[in-house]
Amino acid sequence: MKTTPKEKINNFCFIIPALILFLVFSLYPILRTFQLSFFQWNGIDKDMIFVGFAQYKHILFNNPAFWKSMLNAGYITLLSLVLQNGLALMLALLVSRNIKGENIYRMIFFLPPVLSGIVVGLIWKFVYDGNFGILNYWLVGLGFSNFHDFAWLSEVKTALSSVAVVHMWKGFGYGFIILLAGLQTIPVELYEAAEVDGADVWQQFKNITFPLLIPIFTIVTILTILGSMQVFDLIYSMTRGGPAGHTHVPITKIYEYMSNGEFGYSTAMAVIFGIVLLIVSFAQIYSSKKLNYNNK
Amino acid sequence: MSKIKMLVLSQICLALVSGLFLGCGGAKKADTPKADVVVWHWMTDRQDAFEKLALQYLEETGIKVLFETYAPTDVYKSKISAAATANLLPDVFNPIADKKEVASYINAGYIANLTQDMENDGWKDEFFAKALTQNTFEEGNEWNVAPGIYAVPLDVNSLMIYYNKDLFAQAGLDPENPPATWSAFIQAGKKLRDANIQPFVSGFGEGWLIGAFAQSYQWNLFGRDGVLETIEGKIPYTDQRWVKIFSLFEEMKNNKLFASGVVTMVNKDAERNFAIGKAAMAFNGSWGVNVYLSMNPELNYGVMPPPALEGAKYPLLMFGGEGSSLFVNEKSPNKQKAVNFLKWLTQKEQQAFLAKATLNIPSNKNVAGDLPPVLKTFSENISNTFESLPKIESWQVTNFININLQSVIIGERTPDSAAKEVQDEKERQTKAGR
Repeated sequence: MKTTPKEKINNFCFIIPALILFLVFSLYPILRTFQLSFFQWNGIDKDMIFVGFAQYKHILFNNPAFWKSMLNAGYITLLSLVLQNGLALMLALLVSRNIKGENIYRMIFFLPPVLSGIVVGLIWKFVYDGNFGILNYWLVGLGFSNFHDFAWLSEVKTALSSVAVVHMWKGFGYGFIILLAGLQTIPVELYEAAEVDGADVWQQFKNITFPLLIPIFTIVTILTILGSMQVFDLIYSMTRGGPAGHTHVPITKIYEYMSNGEFGYSTAMAVIFGIVLLIVSFAQIYSSKKLNYNNK
Repeated sequence: MSKIKMLVLSQICLALVSGLFLGCGGAKKADTPKADVVVWHWMTDRQDAFEKLALQYLEETGIKVLFETYAPTDVYKSKISAAATANLLPDVFNPIADKKEVASYINAGYIANLTQDMENDGWKDEFFAKALTQNTFEEGNEWNVAPGIYAVPLDVNSLMIYYNKDLFAQAGLDPENPPATWSAFIQAGKKLRDANIQPFVSGFGEGWLIGAFAQSYQWNLFGRDGVLETIEGKIPYTDQRWVKIFSLFEEMKNNKLFASGVVTMVNKDAERNFAIGKAAMAFNGSWGVNVYLSMNPELNYGVMPPPALEGAKYPLLMFGGEGSSLFVNEKSPNKQKAVNFLKWLTQKEQQAFLAKATLNIPSNKNVAGDLPPVLKTFSENISNTFESLPKIESWQVTNFININLQSVIIGERTPDSAAKEVQDEKERQTKAGR
């Protein structure tokens, strides 16, 4: 059916509110960020000094701390992709099997993601505390007396992993809900047919569940990558990037520069970080398409 | 689509668009002002006292002053910066910034020069001299700010070491004679550790506190000229005296003086540790008197300056001076009313009231004699705080110093390698002209 010009105008009217919001709150800030990244500006001075790509060059070649923070975020992301999503899938598989109290489990698993990151960070900081922490109390109770004053968040070897554990604990609920929804879209008949053919549980998972869940995995993976790379509230409330900068991630570095009046420089950091995230996301989408059985 | 639907839709669009434009361009204040003078501050513990004083001022002069609190400080700082950009600053505020950033606010026309008012009636002479230096710009300063005084100090502070007298006695130390030298300090720390007491705590997770502790020794070893020459790049951070400063932290670490988790500890947690007797010494500011009183009124403690190094050429100075100051908005139509109120607020009676209510050291030196003993010790040391310098180190280098001090404490770097790291950053910043 052909759309008349009047209908086109009517249809366009419907998207105007969303379009205005998008232009004002998304596109304009993005363009402004990009523009600011070419200036040296502290957010207060009337004059902004145009420096071209100098700030980009400095970040790329003379700011090792920023790249270290990128690696830290990568480490948290890698752990989240494997452990957090692994746990989410396992729990989703269990809950999808019509077990008793299914809804209660769903609610419990989805509780951590809805809590405030700052509050979660502060609570876990108490758990990890070297002087009062309940974790050390339990470990000492189990006979590990060396841990009586072990500061989990102040040791180089444990600080980042400790934060990553909290991030995964807080985040697995999202993956769980999305994967559960994906599992429920798989027709039961496929499993029944497989059973008739003599397929065991592993074969059913390998040949039915996994292939049909690939589009869902793509979404979960991208959300995990974006969420983990951009973690901020937990780091800020638990370690503030310490000890000695070992838990800094790009967003905390950007925040650090911005709060020290380096608006131009921090926006250049944000642009570089945005490009890295885009590359990772596109790579993920591309590889998922390659794997997607439905497209074959 | 019916005409009614179109009408509703167009009204929604119109409301949305006009809302956006009004919201974005709303630099104009409401027609009816909330008060004659509006003060934005971050000092939550002083809000009640401020409100009482505002009420008193209203009764005396008929001028209404409104104190609005925004906390914590980083939120407040962001609010000020955003308000400045949108030209929505209140009559009185504080950018909570270093001298360089304050200079930007002044040069952009957001902060009033108060020199003339300060000179009138000897207002300036009522303050501790150190209370004014932080926000006083000298002739020929590197930021090209017109010379003058740009803020009204409300209180002063200094950072010293609090020590728990009961824990000192428990470890066999004399509570009335705290260690005065570095070696005595280390020995005291060892004795405390032997008695199963954590010797030293501070919010070293907040970079500025670890930096403040280190800077005392920078002044002790370098003196004013040396500190300035380091900022100017004439003395490298690999100088043996800087290596010595890093090695002091290594010595504290090797002798197990630090409380568990000190490198990521925020000051609020450090204050709690000290208040409940989990650590015997705490490096903290004079505001700690009020904090410890609220956390543990029974706490039996004294204060001592950071112990000086034996054989150091220069006196050991402490971080401190101006505590909280308030700036007047140059563009405010109520500028003079704001100045008059601040002048009233810093008079002896009001300052005495604030000191009593909040246990901070008032900036008015005429009130200092009436302070409780511990606060008096702090106020007596105001003259021993860092001197004001015409230049400041870039925040990136300062940040690197703090991070590398943490690295030494966790045993990741030696004092030599930490000093080299800082020098490398200094060179990177110099090369980039930052």
